[in-house]
Amino acid sequence: MEFFAAQALNGLVIGLLYALMAVGLSLIFSVLKLVNFAHGECYMMGAFVSYYLATLFGVNPILSVFLAMIAVFLLGAVIHQLFLKPIYTERVERKDEYAILITFGLGIFLQNLAMSIFGPWTKRSPDFLPGTTLLGFLTVDNNRLVVSAAAVLIVTALLIVIGKTFVGKALRAVSQDRDAAAIVGVNSQRMNLLAFGIGVALAGGAGALIGPIFLISPVMGILPGIKSFVIIVLGGMGSIKGAIIGSLLLGQIESLGSVFFLDPTRGLAYKNAFGVLLLAIVLLLRPTGLFGERHVRME
Amino acid sequence: MRAVKLLVILTVVAFVGGLLGWTQEEPIIIGGVAPLSAPGAAESGTEMKIAMEMAVEEINAAGGVLGKPLKLIVEDTRGLPEEGTAAMNRLADAGAVGVVGEFHSAVAKAEIEVANQRKLPFIISEAWADVLTAKQYPYVFRIAPANSLFYTKVADWIKAIGSRNVVAIVENTDWGLGVDAVLRAELIGKTNIHGEPISYTSIVAERTVTDFTPQLLRFKAMDPRPDLVMDIFTGTGEYLIVKQAAEIGLATTRETAIFPVGTSALYPEFWETVGEYGVFAITKTGYHPLLGVTPAIKEFTAKFEARTGKEPTFAAMEAYDSVYVLVKAIEMAGSTDPDAIVAALEEIKYDGVLGTIYFSTEREPDYMFHQWPGAKAVVIQYTEVNQKPSEALLLWPAILRP
Repeated sequence: MEFFAAQALNGLVIGLLYALMAVGLSLIFSVLKLVNFAHGECYMMGAFVSYYLATLFGVNPILSVFLAMIAVFLLGAVIHQLFLKPIYTERVERKDEYAILITFGLGIFLQNLAMSIFGPWTKRSPDFLPGTTLLGFLTVDNNRLVVSAAAVLIVTALLIVIGKTFVGKALRAVSQDRDAAAIVGVNSQRMNLLAFGIGVALAGGAGALIGPIFLISPVMGILPGIKSFVIIVLGGMGSIKGAIIGSLLLGQIESLGSVFFLDPTRGLAYKNAFGVLLLAIVLLLRPTGLFGERHVRME
Repeated sequence: MRAVKLLVILTVVAFVGGLLGWTQEEPIIIGGVAPLSAPGAAESGTEMKIAMEMAVEEINAAGGVLGKPLKLIVEDTRGLPEEGTAAMNRLADAGAVGVVGEFHSAVAKAEIEVANQRKLPFIISEAWADVLTAKQYPYVFRIAPANSLFYTKVADWIKAIGSRNVVAIVENTDWGLGVDAVLRAELIGKTNIHGEPISYTSIVAERTVTDFTPQLLRFKAMDPRPDLVMDIFTGTGEYLIVKQAAEIGLATTRETAIFPVGTSALYPEFWETVGEYGVFAITKTGYHPLLGVTPAIKEFTAKFEARTGKEPTFAAMEAYDSVYVLVKAIEMAGSTDPDAIVAALEEIKYDGVLGTIYFSTEREPDYMFHQWPGAKAVVIQYTEVNQKPSEALLLWPAILRP
């Protein structure tokens, strides 16, 4: 029982981290109708910004996470204005293909830029809270507790903004019908900018939070980026609720699957395959994902 | 008319430039392969590259080889077999007469195929999988120890300290699986120094895994509790296993030690990433002062530290010696003909930083073919934070301890 509880708790922590990344990607897709293939690299940039703020400038590690999110938001805004804004004009014909190429290329660029500037070596961000805490019979690293709490706070704040504020309503309006939103006075370009900025900021925040736990390097975003794609398809493209539930589900499957696999000595070797297997099963039963709707092409 | 004049001028300039190029000495090109970026172990690869460059600079300062300057081209193999294959082909196309280096066995396994196909003498500096020399390719040589040469000794140490329950997380690569195979053969069904049976349990993980906590928790829940955790990983994974094992209270504790087996535990990045969790971690190295500090080691260490600010590990020493061995073989052969170089390498005896280097031509056991039999490795234990490997406590072989 103790062993199962420990695994489940670990899966919950991992799931919350996945949720931060996946929710951002889902938000971008729901409003802009494009998949950001540079999402993993935005996660990585957040990690490095936070790391250098904390180590070079002595900023409090928790504050450095939020500053990193702001920095990545600004990066996202620049990316949107320079590269993504033309998609919503008549200048670009093949919009879907353009978006894929642009974001994919950006991802490669950011990764190599990071390698050139920060070097290829692994680094570790300062602890948020050193030591461990005993929760009943479970020993938990304090950093993981802080990360879990921060992830819950950030996602909750996002849900409140989306559900209860005017900006949130405007974002939802654009995601439902861009033209209708424009008719009622919503500036869709501004909402695109906001959605993209917030989406990548969430990824940057996830990267910044992960720094003390899983270490940082220029290629750290590749696997989480792929898992984010798996999660948003699993949860339903454009569904934030689906992204959250998909993330928590994937975290549990990976944690429990790797130890309760048929051959426990090989469980960890197949860990990354569990999510894809889960995705395949869900899509067979529900092609739009758990909470998805029929895909809407970019207008 | 103006266009014709411009064309004539350009043609003359190109001709003169080409002539100048002709009159310069054609260098002898040697290739270097190493992981310089992730997912490869960039710390090790970078160190090896610097050591290779140092060797080439010294050789050129002393007049080059066969009266010609030596040129080094280092390719980044990124720890990926397909990159290793591409790198070897690029080096062969660039006219390299021999190649040295490589850190990852999985990559070296791909590289030896190209070396054999393209008749490119290849001295493996720091990749340990038995298969690399067990294939007995004529153009492939190795300075680093083979897994079987070293990990049988590690198994002897495990038995000597009275271990009863050994667990391992194994990198799913040729090197990791090779180490696991040696330990399985040496420990399962065997007894320790007290006559007690030894249990050995290993789990395999991909190099991309970052969360080892589920498996480490499983180890912690074992009864009896493991007394040794073998961290058979390199790079980021190696650091994460040490860190996460400490975070859940598995190792290092009074009951359980941890042994990060990969070379990444020898770098300053180890302390930056694991911090105090690295104290009392056990690891291995190919060089320790108690093995003997020769003038060659002192000189190399001083130069390397002056250049990088860091103490060199044995991976750097191997890369440095590899260049010199290849160059000496070219000099002995009197040519850059690959078969002549191979013949020279089979006869060579070179006094390098790590010792007198020569290559066995024995075919039994199979991994000994073209393997340096004198490659050493010792087991050390860190006793304080930020400790250099040369200052760590020597655990094995115990006879060397003062």
